[in-house]
Amino acid sequence: MDGTTVVALSTPPGESAIAVVRMSGTGAVDILDRMAGASGPWESHKVYRKILKKADGGPIDEVLVTVMSAPDSYTGEDVVEISCHGSVHIYSSIIEEALYLGAHPAGPGEFTKRAYLKGKIDLTQAEAIADLISAETQLQARVALEQLEGSLSKKIGKIEKRLLEELALLELSIDFSEEDIELCSRDTLRKRSEEITEELKQMIDSEITGKKLRNGIRVTVLGPRNAGKSSIYNALLGEERAIVSAVPGTTRDLLRERIHIGGFTYYLEDTAGIGQTECEIETKGISIGRKAAEGADLILFVIDGSAGWDDESRKEFEKIAGKNHILVLNKKDLGADISCEKYRPKTLSGSAAEVSAKTGEGIQSLRKMIYKKTVRDDAAEIVKERGAVSSRHAAALREAVDAVKGVIAELEGAGAVEIMSLEIREAIEALGKVTGRSVAGELLDLIFSRFCIGK
Amino acid sequence: MIINNPGGKSYDLIVVGGGHAGCEAALASARMGNSTLLATINIRDIARMPCNPAIGGLAKGQLVREIDALGGEMGLCIDAAGIQFKMLNRAKGPAVWSPRAQADKAVYHEKMLEALSSEEGLDIFEGEVEGIAVEEGRVTGVTISGERIRGKKAVLALGTFPNGLMHIGERKIPGGREGEPPSCLLSDDLAANGIERARLKTGTPARLKRSSIDFSRCQEQPGDISPVPFSFRTKKLNLDQISCYITYTNVETHDIIRKNIDRAPLFSGQIMGTGPRYCPSIEDKVIRFSGRDRHQIFLEPEGRGSEEIYINGLSTSLPVDIQEKMIRTVAGLEDSEIVRYGYAIEYDFFPPHQIHASLESRKIEGLYFAGQVNGTSGYEEAAAQGIVAGINASLSLRGEPPFLPGRHQAYAGVMVDDLITKEIDEPYRMFTSRAEHRLLLRQDNADERLFRYAVRYGLLEKGLWSEMISRKKRVMKAKRRLHREVIPAERINSLLENEGAPPATEARKAIQIARRPEIGVEKLEAILDGGGLGLGERELDMLGIEIKYDGYIARQKKMAHKLLKMDKMTIPDGFSFEIEALSREAREKLGRFRPETLGQASRISGVRNSDLSILMIFIEKLKKESKNSGRRGMNFR
Repeated sequence: MDGTTVVALSTPPGESAIAVVRMSGTGAVDILDRMAGASGPWESHKVYRKILKKADGGPIDEVLVTVMSAPDSYTGEDVVEISCHGSVHIYSSIIEEALYLGAHPAGPGEFTKRAYLKGKIDLTQAEAIADLISAETQLQARVALEQLEGSLSKKIGKIEKRLLEELALLELSIDFSEEDIELCSRDTLRKRSEEITEELKQMIDSEITGKKLRNGIRVTVLGPRNAGKSSIYNALLGEERAIVSAVPGTTRDLLRERIHIGGFTYYLEDTAGIGQTECEIETKGISIGRKAAEGADLILFVIDGSAGWDDESRKEFEKIAGKNHILVLNKKDLGADISCEKYRPKTLSGSAAEVSAKTGEGIQSLRKMIYKKTVRDDAAEIVKERGAVSSRHAAALREAVDAVKGVIAELEGAGAVEIMSLEIREAIEALGKVTGRSVAGELLDLIFSRFCIGK
Repeated sequence: MIINNPGGKSYDLIVVGGGHAGCEAALASARMGNSTLLATINIRDIARMPCNPAIGGLAKGQLVREIDALGGEMGLCIDAAGIQFKMLNRAKGPAVWSPRAQADKAVYHEKMLEALSSEEGLDIFEGEVEGIAVEEGRVTGVTISGERIRGKKAVLALGTFPNGLMHIGERKIPGGREGEPPSCLLSDDLAANGIERARLKTGTPARLKRSSIDFSRCQEQPGDISPVPFSFRTKKLNLDQISCYITYTNVETHDIIRKNIDRAPLFSGQIMGTGPRYCPSIEDKVIRFSGRDRHQIFLEPEGRGSEEIYINGLSTSLPVDIQEKMIRTVAGLEDSEIVRYGYAIEYDFFPPHQIHASLESRKIEGLYFAGQVNGTSGYEEAAAQGIVAGINASLSLRGEPPFLPGRHQAYAGVMVDDLITKEIDEPYRMFTSRAEHRLLLRQDNADERLFRYAVRYGLLEKGLWSEMISRKKRVMKAKRRLHREVIPAERINSLLENEGAPPATEARKAIQIARRPEIGVEKLEAILDGGGLGLGERELDMLGIEIKYDGYIARQKKMAHKLLKMDKMTIPDGFSFEIEALSREAREKLGRFRPETLGQASRISGVRNSDLSILMIFIEKLKKESKNSGRRGMNFR
């Protein structure tokens, strides 16, 4: 942007089969020339095999190099991508060498920022790319991709167009009131405004889902000691992550791992079992677990289903019963039965699951239940159909809704067209914050194309 | 004063053209103390209305009020020459009311000529200006009949005369208006001076003989019962108003047009210029909106004693025989006689990206463009530019900064800003929908918006301004009182009962009651503690508007201030828009329009938000650099 060249590792850090180092800027090709000991010719978008060397002549690695010449690259600048062997030592050496030859380390999102500044992408697309990079599931990737292709911009564009049509109807009645044109009725205007409000609201609704999709959902496993929390934790993960033993209080620290259900990322947290203990570490572990449960989207309260309630765990359960939770009766293989008299009446008000971590019985349905308790039934459909808006988008959309509601309020009252027009203009303005586009100039075009004007 | 020979004289300002723009420019200049020459081809055609016999109308009425608030003449002339007055949009909120009047064209001309001839320091000369004199990029005068007349500044207000070409059917007649030759030399001379030109088209309908029309078959349209004057300086209008009439075209009319469409210059390819979409010819309407089986027509008298009737809505360039046939299908016009035929006219204009917001040419210093030469249409649009050009040329002579009303201050400001930031692909007409701050730009408050400039520039008496201020103060005081005063329920109910509204259960602030549409300020006065508000009629109206739009006006002001910030960020003179980071479209458009502020840049279509942030970054950087290194060059990439 300002003439500097930046370099960064583009693949996740750590050992892997291959790693990709990316450079962008006017000096990128020059730096490549010097590392490869040859000045091109680098044909754009072609792959070359080269041995890169340090300035002192020592070899670094045999790599594959692709040059994407400006402006046909992601950033719109000259971009060089180097695929090297995936060792920390190798990719670090390449980056160090590039820095030595004049490149700067790229800041977070720098490549996308450059693309935005070069006008290669608009703001919603820039945000989508950020989401795409951090996408872990197909659903996340899909939403990000769709936003990248401008689905959000398109959707908002459609609403903008309808608002503009409504505005045209109002403006028509102001600027051409002397002419022989039939005007739109209050009822029609009202119906249109209500439809638009509804659509905007639906988009705003997707914010919560969108947030969950982007940030993941936190599920904390809580319960008395030795209820088998860690066994359930492992069963849900599908691997032996937490140490399991018959000794009560084996888990002392908070463990956190990711699982994916229905396209969403869940952060599953295993906590120390609740109970009286002398052990200072365990006590601390218990309080960490409680704290984790406070901020969780869902609590799995696990008890030994075959043993039933004891006073302490019952008390503990009542503390969290007001939150989103599932009561998990473990040890189904030993006879846990929710219909049993002793679990009434409190427990049945919430959701409960019978599982056996040992045999795996009920784990699948627990997964489904977790999904249902955290994501609305139609989340996947919503996301696929409407996309999932970010908080920034939602704020702008809310502004637009307020303005359109102002129109409806005015229609119920005096019905002053000049005031309704002002509200709609503000709604359009607010939507423009999402797409970065101003549509006001199209107003007269719309009027002239649809109505016969002219005395 | 009309003079016979300006030879050898030297003027501060020379105005070329005696139309609505030229008249206002010349008067403003002379009133600001400059020796001024108004050169016109024909004195009898000063302030002539070649098209419809009306002044004002939607949005245009606001422009006339602004011209008047700036000390212009248009409002006074139409108050004297009007034969029917109407406040349009009265059924809607006062923010969109617009005054309009049917004019006696002959009287309007006389009144304007009177004003011009009696103005001190203003010479009027009949002759065709053939060229401008330019030395070192500055205008130094004009040539009339081969003779040089010196002038420090010049305003070009040429109307449709530059290379005017009229079309009636297959006939093409060079001319600036009916019966008048075009002015070709001046247009060519401007082009030779490097001013880019393009073509536009407009048209006018036929005129009918009044006595040949059967008005009983038409619907009468009378004027307002109590007519409102245009000028803030006119106390009261006393006149007998004359009615207009409404009739309609029909299927038969449309059939005739369709059958002969190949003879219409607009459709045969004979006309190259672009016509206005808001004022299409009847052939255009019939073809484009084929679903409609009738179009509205207004029959408007051209003057009190005039035998000519203008057929508003029937603009056409069809051949004369078809015009006759077509008109006689219309109810009331079956036996009508055509006095003059309708025609279309093509003319040169000079795309206004070539002027500054002051209306001064970017290419030739001291040369101002006003009216149709900038691609606008309409008497009011022209006059508003005329007065702005006249004021700015005068300010420049004084060495003072130009008068640049903002989009939140005046329709005139909206218009000029549009002209320099938008592609003109049809004649530009003012609409209220072009003004995003419409609630601030009302016809009733043009004085509050603009009097101070007129007084500062010496165009209006200071007394008018102080009167306006004390009026405003009285209104605001009354408003504060309504905010304070609490009225008990029983007194509120004495009003509500009459309106058949459900009674109030508790006391309310007076302002809340005033806001109810069925009550309003006037009725409220009767139940106020300690008697009425002691306001005049106009002040009560003002108070009503203040109350009705209370929160909304504040919102618009807030929005205007936000936008104003962008308008305060200037783009340095000579800034290169060849910035690689800008989108291709933005680079092209910015290079063409060369905006002088970021606000202007933001209103150019094709310039996106990302382009604006890039511009901002580069301008900031440039400013920092030039600050750090004293006066280094501006050639920055």
